[in-house]
Order: sequence, then structure tokens, then C-alpha cells
Amino acid sequence: MGLNLEITLGKIKLNSPLILCSGIFGFGNENIKFIDERKIGAIVTKTITYEPWPGNPQPRIYETNYGMINRIGLQNPGVFYFMRNIFPKLRKKYKRVFVSISGRSEKEFVEIIKIVSKKRIDAIELNLSCPNFENEKKMISQSSELTFKIVKSVKNETDIPVIVKLTPNVTEIKEIAISAEEGGADILSLINTIKGLAVDFKKMRVIDGGLSGPSIKPVGLKCVYDVYKVVNIPIIGMGGITCGLDAIEYFLVGASAIGIGSGFYSNPQIIDDIYKTLKNFLRKNKFKSIREMIGLLNEKKENF
Amino acid sequence: MERKICKILKNENLSGNYYFLILENNFKKIFKPGNFIHIKIGNNFLRRPFSIALFDREKIGIIYKVVGKGTDELRKKKKGEFLDILGPCGNFFPIYKNKKVCIIGGGTGIAPLIFLSKVLKKYGNDVYFFYGARDKNLIFFKLLLTGINYIFSTDNGSYGKKGNIFDVFKNFEENFQVIYGAGPEILLKKLSIYSENIPVYISVENYMACGMGLCYGCVIRIRKNNGYEYKRVCKDGPVFKASEIIWD
Ligand SMILES: Cc1cc2nc3c(=O)[nH]c(=O)nc-3n(C[C@H](O)[C@H](O)[C@H](O)COP(=O)(O)OP(=O)(O)OC[C@H]3O[C@@H](n4cnc5c(N)ncnc54)[C@H](O)[C@@H]3O)c2cc1C
Ligand SMILES: Cc1cc2nc3c(=O)[nH]c(=O)nc-3n(C[C@H](O)[C@H](O)[C@H](O)COP(=O)(O)O)c2cc1C
Ligand code: FES
Repeated sequence: MGLNLEITLGKIKLNSPLILCSGIFGFGNENIKFIDERKIGAIVTKTITYEPWPGNPQPRIYETNYGMINRIGLQNPGVFYFMRNIFPKLRKKYKRVFVSISGRSEKEFVEIIKIVSKKRIDAIELNLSCPNFENEKKMISQSSELTFKIVKSVKNETDIPVIVKLTPNVTEIKEIAISAEEGGADILSLINTIKGLAVDFKKMRVIDGGLSGPSIKPVGLKCVYDVYKVVNIPIIGMGGITCGLDAIEYFLVGASAIGIGSGFYSNPQIIDDIYKTLKNFLRKNKFKSIREMIGLLNEKKENF
Repeated sequence: MERKICKILKNENLSGNYYFLILENNFKKIFKPGNFIHIKIGNNFLRRPFSIALFDREKIGIIYKVVGKGTDELRKKKKGEFLDILGPCGNFFPIYKNKKVCIIGGGTGIAPLIFLSKVLKKYGNDVYFFYGARDKNLIFFKLLLTGINYIFSTDNGSYGKKGNIFDVFKNFEENFQVIYGAGPEILLKKLSIYSENIPVYISVENYMACGMGLCYGCVIRIRKNNGYEYKRVCKDGPVFKASEIIWD
């Protein structure tokens, strides 16, 4: 039997542990030459909101040492347009489609869930790192109470598996992760971008946004490592993955799947590269599946 | 769009901070004037976009100015080394036939215009190329094609008319049917004035991450009804109708 890279995320079976991160691949309907759909487990759409959002004015991106800062501001055409015009194309193209959503209030979350749940989507990802919740400057996933509350009301609305994506910008991510699990989260996505600032002295301006890319890998690994110990739900690990060995590190500390993020911009053939490295790694180390690697360098805490 | 590892055939200094890079063309796709390539340079995380200045079956050429760390590393690359290239990216200039057309640009904006002038000439257009530079040594005579009417200006008067190329163009006694521009934003803004009467196509620049229309990082404001919408320079552009753009 040939080696395969199948994994399961809770009840979801995936052909491959490689997941296309939210916001990196547009809405997913673009015709991207470099993606071999057979090699990816699922695509996560760019975050969709209830109403259309125009996104932030320029500047929106800037390069940093081994990374980049973005402040796109969730530019999207709103959930109605998305479900009607974009989603059907995605459904045809990808075996597993995860729809990322965000809202400015609990009510908005619930409304969006009602709409997206009407179609056959494989999972909903809650982007709880949107900074304008109920007009406060705080993100939902910076508060255990809010995280619990939103996840719970979403779970009450839908039978579709719910992935909760967390920000690393917190004092103790374990607590937030536990609250998400208690609220009913089926899967966790770790991590979203880290707050950061770049100075563009040529244009005499700053770019105040979220840092991604290789420079954040140690932070992503640490979050996965810590959270794995204290939850019983699977984790999608992401942050700074640029090659197969990076992906393996995430599996070893506890991720069940990994997210391809801005590394794709540097190397659009990253998916083929990682896929190949994973296969070779399994073969060389006599692992029969990805599952055997998950959490090998970590352990669950008892009675946390 | 394809990704290819291309051999450097030539990487020479033109003058000042300007360089001419020629790569072996192993792309299947045909590149058009206005298209750009997205180059991975060393360990820099993001690629760097450059307009195509020269394209034929064997070669792809760009003209670049050293302005920061990426272009400074590019300058040091030697003949025989390889570069990781994404292309062709973006849209292209619409090509008219048998018209009297104006091409106007300065600085690195000259790069796509040289390729454009070649194609416009091929389609029977009467081409007037307004070429602005700071100094005579920044006019790249050897890259210019024959059979085109050149009008030069330099800031210091060392060649052609003294002053800014837009002023030279403004006072020129010809009626053009189409205008094409690239270069400094201030020039492009001024060209927009003409778009009430004739088509004006310009190539604009912006900071980019993906270069493939995915990240929405490179957007500019484009007129829509009474308001605007954000369009991506890398995918919906870099060539836009000047009349559509809302300048910041
Ligand atoms: C469609 C398009 C076509 C272009 N064609 C040419 C060309 O033919 N010749 C040429 O010399 N230059 C061209 N440029 C500009 C060129 O991309 C920048 O000069 C280059 O990216 C600077 O990189 P750097 O590392 O040397 O500068 P740094 O300032 O160190 O770069 C820092 C970051 O800012 C970005 N950046 C800085 N200036 C620009 C700019 N003007 N446009 C876009 N990104 C920028 C860089 O890509 C990088 O991500 C073009 C830009 C675009 C968008
Ligand atoms: C341009 C850009 C846009 C992004 N948009 C979203 C988004 O809409 N929703 C979301 O949950 N995360 C978004 N992210 C975060 C990524 O999904 C990912 O969590 C993060 O970039 C870390 O991974 P990386 O270092 O591999 O890029 C975005 C990241 C980038 C670079
Ligand atoms: S650079 Fe990513 S959309 Fe244009």
C-alpha cells in the first residue's frame, strides 16, 4: 500500500494535512495555477462578514525581515454575495471547503451562520481576531468570556463543525483555547497574525498591522505546543511555514493539520514541496501515517 | 502565470543607478507590453515586481533602478546565475492599429514603454515617444528602437528640451488619438486631464505581496458610480484608464 497523507480533524476526513489559510488565497475562486487540489486537504476562504466591507485604505502591506505586515481590513463582498456567486465555484473545485466568518456583534455571527449553514460547507472557521467587536478595540479571542459566549451561540445555530481561530496576542492562550473548547469548538486554528509595525521611511509612514511569515514560526509552535497539552480537540497549526520541515515541526508539537500562509507568496510551489517532503519523511522514518507523528514531542497534561 | 528558474544572460549597468537585466526566456506564455514579472531576490520574503522592457522567444529583459535592498542585491547577480521568476503578471496595454499615438514617460516608467513602442510600431501606428530624464546620461539610447519619433527632455537641459517632459508634451503641436504613460505619479496624474477627450492608458505601481490577485494588498481606488471600489494593481492592472483612477 502506498503511503498516503490522510488525516482526520474531528469528524472531517481530509486527503491531505495541508490546509490553505484564510485570506491568503483570496476567496478561493481565483484560478491559481500553482495549486494541485489533490494535494490539499481543504481551503479556508478569506473571512466573510455580514455586510460587504471595503477594507482599509493604503498602505496595506509591507515587507519585514523574514516576514510581512498586512492590514487588509477584511475586504469582502458580504455573505449574501459570497454564498450566491463565489461559494458554488469553490464547492466544485475543492473537496473540502471551510468558510471563515467574522462579525461585529454576537447577532451578526448568528445571522451569518444561519445563511452559510444552508449550503453544504465542510466547516465554519470563526475568525475571532477581528479588532472591532462591539465597537471596542478588543478582539473576541483576547477574552475567555467572549470567546466562550460567541462559540456557544454559533454552535447552537449549526451542526456544521466549527473551527475557532485564535490570536496569539494574549497573556495566556491556553485559557482562551479551553474556553473555546468549552463553548463547543470542534477544532482550533493557531495562530492568526501577531501585532506588528513596520516603518516605511521612504514614504514617511508606518504600517500598523499583523505580522506573518517565517519570523513568527517560533510563536506559532509555542502556541500549538502549549494548547495541545490542555485541549482534546484537534489543532490546525500555522504561522511561518515555508517548507516541509516547518510542517513536520508543527505536527511533532501537536498539530493535526497545518496551514499554508504567506509562505505561498514567496514560493507558489510550496504545496508541492511540502507534500513531497512529508511523504519522504514518513517513508524514511517508517511512519505509516501523519497521525503517528502528531504530538510526538509533546504530551497531554493530566487533570489540567 | 508560470514560475520558472531563469538563467541570467546579462546584468549590466546602464548608467547611474539604472541596470539592464536579460534573462533566458523559458516561459511558454507570450508576454505583452504592460505585463510584469515578480522576482524572488535572495532571502527577501516578498518578491519584487518589474515591468517587461524586452521580450522575444529567447530573452526577457527588465530595466531597473537600485532603490533599496532587493534591487541592490539584484545588481550584484552575475551572468550565469539563476533567478526565480513569476510571470507574466498583470494586464497589458490595449494595442490600437494605424493611429497617431503618444507614449510618454520618465524614470523606470520607460521600461514598459520601450516594449510597448515596439508593438505599436508593428501595428502600423505613428508613434511619438516623449522621453523625460534628469540628465542626458540617463537616456538609454541603445535600448531605443528605430522608426519612432522621439522627443526628449532633461531636467538640466543636457539633451533635448530643458524641463519636464509633460510640459514639452503639452506644448506639442500634434493631435494624438491615444496616449500611453508610465513613470512618476505626478506625470500620470497630469495625463489624466487628457482622458476626457481621448483614451489615456497608464501603468501604475504599488507595493505588492502575492502579485497574483490574492492578498488584496496592492489595491488602488477606482471610480464606481458616485463612489469608488478597490481594484488590484497586480491583477486588474497595472494598466488602467487614467480617467478611472482616484488619486490619493
Ligand atoms: C507593476 C510594477 C512594475 C514595476 N516596474 C519597474 C521597472 O520596470 N523598473 C524598476 O526599476 N522598478 C519597477 N517597479 C518598482 C520596483 O518594484 C521597486 O523599485 C522594487 O520593488 C524596490 O525593491 P527594493 O527592495 O530595492 O526596495 P525597498 O524599498 O528596500 O523595498 C521594500 C519593499 O517595498 C516595495 N517597494 C518599494 N518601492 C516600490 C515601488 N515603487 N513599487 C512597488 N513596490 C515597491 C518592495 O517591493 C519591497 O517589498 C515596478 C513596480 C510595480 C508595482
Ligand atoms: C494578506 C493576508 C491576509 C489575511 N487574511 C486573513 C483573514 O481574512 N482571516 C483570517 O482568519 N486570517 C487571515 N490572515 C492570517 C493567515 O490566515 C495566517 O493565520 C497568518 O498569516 C499566519 O500564517 P503565515 O505566517 O504562514 O502567513 C491573513 C494573512 C495575510 C498575510
Ligand atoms: S499583490 Fe496581492 S493582490 Fe495584488
